[in-house]
Amino acid sequence: MLAVDARDLHKAFTSGWWGRRRTEALRGASLQVPRGAIYGLLGPNGAGKTTLLSILATLLLPDRGSATILGHDVVREATAIRRRLNMASGNASFVWSLRPAEVLTFYGGLYGLHGSVLRQRVESLIEQCELGPHRKTEYNALSTGLKQRLALAKALINEPEVLFLDEPTLGLDPDVSIRLRAQIAALRRERGTTIILTTHYMREADELCDRIAFIKSGQILAEGTPDELKRQIRIGDVVVLRLEPAVPAEFADQPGVLQVHVRGDQVECAVDSSEKRLPELLRWLHEQGVLVRDCQVHEPELEEVFVEFAR
Amino acid sequence: MNSLAETLAREPLPREPWSAELVRTWAFAYRNVIMARRNVFFVFELTFWPGVAMLSHGLLTRFLHLDARMTAFILVGTVALSAVQVCQLDVAYAVLFDIWSKSMKHQFLTPIGIRHMAVGSWLVGVARGVVVFLLMAAIGSWSFGFDFIGGGPGPLALFLLGCFLTSLIIGLLVCSLVVLFGTRAETSAWAAVNFVVMLSGIYYPISILPGWVQGVSAFIPLSYFLDAFRQGYGFAPYYTHAWLRGFALTAFYVVLAHWGLAAAITRSRRTGLLLKLSE
Repeated sequence: MLAVDARDLHKAFTSGWWGRRRTEALRGASLQVPRGAIYGLLGPNGAGKTTLLSILATLLLPDRGSATILGHDVVREATAIRRRLNMASGNASFVWSLRPAEVLTFYGGLYGLHGSVLRQRVESLIEQCELGPHRKTEYNALSTGLKQRLALAKALINEPEVLFLDEPTLGLDPDVSIRLRAQIAALRRERGTTIILTTHYMREADELCDRIAFIKSGQILAEGTPDELKRQIRIGDVVVLRLEPAVPAEFADQPGVLQVHVRGDQVECAVDSSEKRLPELLRWLHEQGVLVRDCQVHEPELEEVFVEFAR
Repeated sequence: MNSLAETLAREPLPREPWSAELVRTWAFAYRNVIMARRNVFFVFELTFWPGVAMLSHGLLTRFLHLDARMTAFILVGTVALSAVQVCQLDVAYAVLFDIWSKSMKHQFLTPIGIRHMAVGSWLVGVARGVVVFLLMAAIGSWSFGFDFIGGGPGPLALFLLGCFLTSLIIGLLVCSLVVLFGTRAETSAWAAVNFVVMLSGIYYPISILPGWVQGVSAFIPLSYFLDAFRQGYGFAPYYTHAWLRGFALTAFYVVLAHWGLAAAITRSRRTGLLLKLSE
């Protein structure tokens, strides 16, 4: 069952006099997100991530293409589907004079919640997002981290089945980011919420997402699990060996070895799959009478995948 | 026609209780009330400007040695302008608060309709408009001996209702302009009402306006409400069936303004302005 099904989405923005400057933000983006998944959208600035997220969240109308959330069209059934989705963004902002509980009460009211249900939900979110000590503080006086936590609390007020997070940890201290990531993971684990997030932090995407799509110039260039994407760009695993005596000349010709860099007694080589090639290499080195003093294997970071796609 | 797979993939949306409609309306009123309590500019809107307007116009009538009838003519206009101004600002705040705090997208991400925004904030506007009226009535009565119930309680109630409905229309117009043109249009929140009252014979009879402007005035409901209420103070009517025509025109404009704002929001979703207003 798909939570999000977007097909061939196109969106262009016009600016300048008489709209003469035209910027293509999306050029045929398609996306399928299963229910209960955490799905990452990665890409360089201006790639179209926020545009895609905004169309799915019913805030923006596509020029072409279609998108459904839980089977309902985001254009024709926008008002109805809004009851079951919500969004939080890293640069969220709320009305300056409202206190955290008042922000939540206001938005809870807009979702039709009232009475004891609304009161209990506001209290539970205040507690869950650790906003209790700042109950009396007006929005403008909250720190960036607290504002971000309030944005997440607001995004959970209607217990959404589909949650859009646009750079949720932007500008946060590392400890706050870690706690926020834990909350996001718990949402899926405990409630089965489908989460679609954009982020610039590769570690965040690697840690949280089941699947990731790389978007650039309004098009989805690659899609898959983090491991699939790492394999897809063929940068391989890096094996670092410390050998005695020196590296044999035929080392670079061994099957699966893509690149070799030698520094003194240390050899750094890229192989297509460390799991498959490492035993073969070790066996070959043993046959050559070379002693392996140290061996380390590095899988490629998602960051390297990002750089490769963004190129 | 949907395929079977599409039909099966659609999860039915649960029915909402009718109370959700009222709650959404209440939410907008709730926010406006909190803002009114916490921001000093609301106090000025409610007391300072109406008080200054009533005192300065009252003193002007003294300086010009106007009789009680003519004083009533002027001060009815003064009350109308202040009540309409304060009430329409509350309606415009439904969008302006989000513009100023860059939180526009959060509001339009929720399943609200224009009716919730408009009615919720308008109700607070009506309450504030009544406070303005009572304050001005007290100042007018105490300082210049003006009797605001002189035209009768029924016409007074109709007059205030007419003023507040005019505010709803102007407020929705301002919301539409702001949603269409962004912060460039926010000054319309203060300018629009002054333009409308100028054309509706606020301190002078419609008959002294140039012929073509009188034609324009006939399209403004407030022209009818002022004309009808002033009849209670002995002024000859300019319009026939002024109450009826005023309210009929108001009903038409309320529907039109609702449609206009809906169209403006759709356009803003298409152009991306809705998102830009949140950045």
